Amino acid sequence: MANRIAFKIVGAQGQGVNSVGEMVAKGLKRAGYCVFGNREYASLIKGGHSSYQLDVSDSLVRSSSALVDVVVSFNHHGILFNLHDLKPGGVLLHQTLQWTFERPEDQEYLRDREISVLYLPTEEILAKLHAKPILGNVLITAVVWAILGRAKEELFALVQERFGHKKDLLAQNLACIDAGWAFAQEQAEALRLSLPKPDDRWKNQLLLTGSQAMGLGMVHAGCRFFAGYPMTPASPLLSFLADIQKQSGMVIKQAEDEITAVQMTVGAMHAGTRAATATSGGGYDLMTETVSMCGISETPLVIVLAQRPGPGTGLPTWTAQGDLLLAVGSGHGEFPRVVLSVSDAVDAFSLMPEAFNLAEEWQLPVIVLTDKHTAEAISVVEHFPMDRTQLRRGALVTDARKLASLTSADRYATDEENGVSPRWLPGTKAATYCAQSYEHAPDGSFEESAQNAKAQMEKRMRKMKVLQQSLPGPELWVARDGEIGLEGAESAGSQIDLLVVGWGSTKGAALDALEELTATHVSSVIGYLHYTYLWPLKTERVRALAARAKRRVLVEGNQQGQLHMLLAMHGITTINDRILAYDGRAFSSTDLVVRLTSLLS
Amino acid sequence: MVDRIPLSGPAMRAYTSDHPCTWCDGCGNYGIWSALKRALVELGIDPWNVLLCFDVGCHGNMSDKILGYRFHGLHGRVIPLAAGAKIANPELTVIALGGDGASFSEGIGHLVHGIRSNYDITFILHNNANYGLTTGQASALTPQGQPMNSSPEGIPERTLNSMDFVFSLEPTFVARGFSGAIPQLTTIFKAAIEHRGFSYVDVLQACPTYNRFATHEYLMERCFDIAGEKYDAADLSRARALAVDTTGRIVTGVLYCQSAVPSFMHQLATRRAAQTTLVEEVGLRDVASLCSVFQ
Repeated sequence: MANRIAFKIVGAQGQGVNSVGEMVAKGLKRAGYCVFGNREYASLIKGGHSSYQLDVSDSLVRSSSALVDVVVSFNHHGILFNLHDLKPGGVLLHQTLQWTFERPEDQEYLRDREISVLYLPTEEILAKLHAKPILGNVLITAVVWAILGRAKEELFALVQERFGHKKDLLAQNLACIDAGWAFAQEQAEALRLSLPKPDDRWKNQLLLTGSQAMGLGMVHAGCRFFAGYPMTPASPLLSFLADIQKQSGMVIKQAEDEITAVQMTVGAMHAGTRAATATSGGGYDLMTETVSMCGISETPLVIVLAQRPGPGTGLPTWTAQGDLLLAVGSGHGEFPRVVLSVSDAVDAFSLMPEAFNLAEEWQLPVIVLTDKHTAEAISVVEHFPMDRTQLRRGALVTDARKLASLTSADRYATDEENGVSPRWLPGTKAATYCAQSYEHAPDGSFEESAQNAKAQMEKRMRKMKVLQQSLPGPELWVARDGEIGLEGAESAGSQIDLLVVGWGSTKGAALDALEELTATHVSSVIGYLHYTYLWPLKTERVRALAARAKRRVLVEGNQQGQLHMLLAMHGITTINDRILAYDGRAFSSTDLVVRLTSLLS
Repeated sequence: MVDRIPLSGPAMRAYTSDHPCTWCDGCGNYGIWSALKRALVELGIDPWNVLLCFDVGCHGNMSDKILGYRFHGLHGRVIPLAAGAKIANPELTVIALGGDGASFSEGIGHLVHGIRSNYDITFILHNNANYGLTTGQASALTPQGQPMNSSPEGIPERTLNSMDFVFSLEPTFVARGFSGAIPQLTTIFKAAIEHRGFSYVDVLQACPTYNRFATHEYLMERCFDIAGEKYDAADLSRARALAVDTTGRIVTGVLYCQSAVPSFMHQLATRRAAQTTLVEEVGLRDVASLCSVFQ
């Protein structure tokens, strides 16, 4: 972590915080740095306080630090709210004329931590240039770029790429860059931040959000239809898929409500294409009757549940891992399902084909959890491999001869050991059947006998038993001797000083924390066990590891410790410590280092 | 005017299910069931080329009394289910069937947006003016003041004028039929299925158990087939006026039809050049070029 620097751009929503953040992130990635960008904002369009934090390093960055080297503030609220986010020796660059610090705690913070405060007279500079206020973004970006010690030409190229379509503004953009540069040379020479030496490996990698990665994963998986109703933090996925529909050829439907979105998805899946929908907690609540329906009609379904803090409308633009039990328990009656969670942009891409494969192979609903943090954070990832993905459609019958031999009663035949019976599509020449939401006989007709009800329930639930055995188990990362790496399930394993268990977006902060901890606790062995597949829950590995560990702790973004509860349900009661967060903020590696250090000593 | 069954297509028995009907004696569903099978056969549509989507209600008990691919889903949600299937495979004949209870209460939003989106599906409204399967509660189409199960003193709410409502949405196809007039209903269903867009077919049907006001005899006396008169089905305001006014005769037949508005799939700029269905397009896609903007 020694090579990491972090800065935070703050201001009112609509002032251009994102614009500056995104431009700098892209520029730094192209210059050879790994960046991790985290956006925080309020649920409104103009005026609320927002921030864009960038963590930059020559080595892999998976999460945000708690404290930053530079705060760039667009307004006086930023000075007040974010001064205390600065590290000792940090720089506050602000744009508020004649600002003075009145609060004793601020004065003390400035003095004790030797914070430099720098005023950028944006309005004055723009007025001199006869430039519109919006160009302040370019001016500020230029100052930041200069402080970072990067070349002016790189910034020209970035501005050209982002605003080049606004030809009339180009000359003014360039003038703003010059002015920002001049300011930084004169005023901020002493405040230059020393970036580590760049590493070429980052230059050509991708810089994108979890939502964008997920959208690309869906297209890659052969998803051809997406229906959604706007709801943060699922909306960025809907928008992204809509933006690329010309290239993907997908049909994107903004539905009239979430029930429509999920019903259309089911209709499309039933007809035989690959389709998905995405929503957040409140919208998912509306979809749950349909999830239950797919349980009994055995229709494949893929739903992305992008978590934000509830209950109710909650904190719409903040993050949480509070819907695990919802995903596992939603829908009336008992039926099989798969719940999995993405943790970052890499598996937001790679898990989508798996979600469709599982839905089709097992003919059941698959709920893909993500959260606001993963959906909107921007990170650097290697190019997604195009040749490692499988297309698996399970017991789908498409061969004409096999279709001709089917009878209606094959659709829900109860004799398969894994509970999966043949599925075939409307429009294929074969015996027809009824996809039935009522309890049904093997051909989908009504059947209320006790014997049949039992046989059909057992047929469906057998899927869970086989799935529990066949789904991938949790992955174990081990930090020892200053190194961190994945450890295979078969490795015998020595004693573990501290076993950390988590799921979802916790992974980034946890691995960053492990990397830092192993540098300072060289003699300690620390394990991070990460759950991707959460239901049906696999427990053999966690059971064995817990027995080997001196201390065991679960890290989750919810109040009750929901994975902890699920593990306890399976008889795993030896994880005695919990680190829980339910304030809407993602875990930071800095905080985890402090919390985990206390468990190590 | 009974049409012939084409020699090359399926016979009536292709749609015949072994399951005995479970509707009450005199239920209007028998007529709708018969006309639907007959319409599909007369159009030469094989059972494996049709998807019948059922809502939950008495009509939904048809889901195993007829063959063809069927999906019997949730109460009130049949329209988006059917629309999703049609979008995925436009070569399928997709028919959604629902009752007046579901369609004008829990599912009314879907009806509004189904008409607005102009999905290329046929929607058959089994209109018996009450919730039959849950034993006779009032629907939004039950006459105000009528004592019903759960409103023994009469329904306090005003009756929703379903035809006025539907016409206000600028539909592309509206027909009204009567479950007792099976040959006419067959003709209406055929026209609805052939229409490229959202076809709304309101079928007035008797409910001998719970509807004591609009009985089979009542409907038989009043229903009047517009096909017997000189009539222009392209005139929206005339169609609306005829449909809404049920004080004397109740006009039946294809009341309104226009083909100028493209169906949902034909509105999609990104699908104009498509030669394949979404079902046929399932397969892994190389997205490397889509990724390049993120470099």
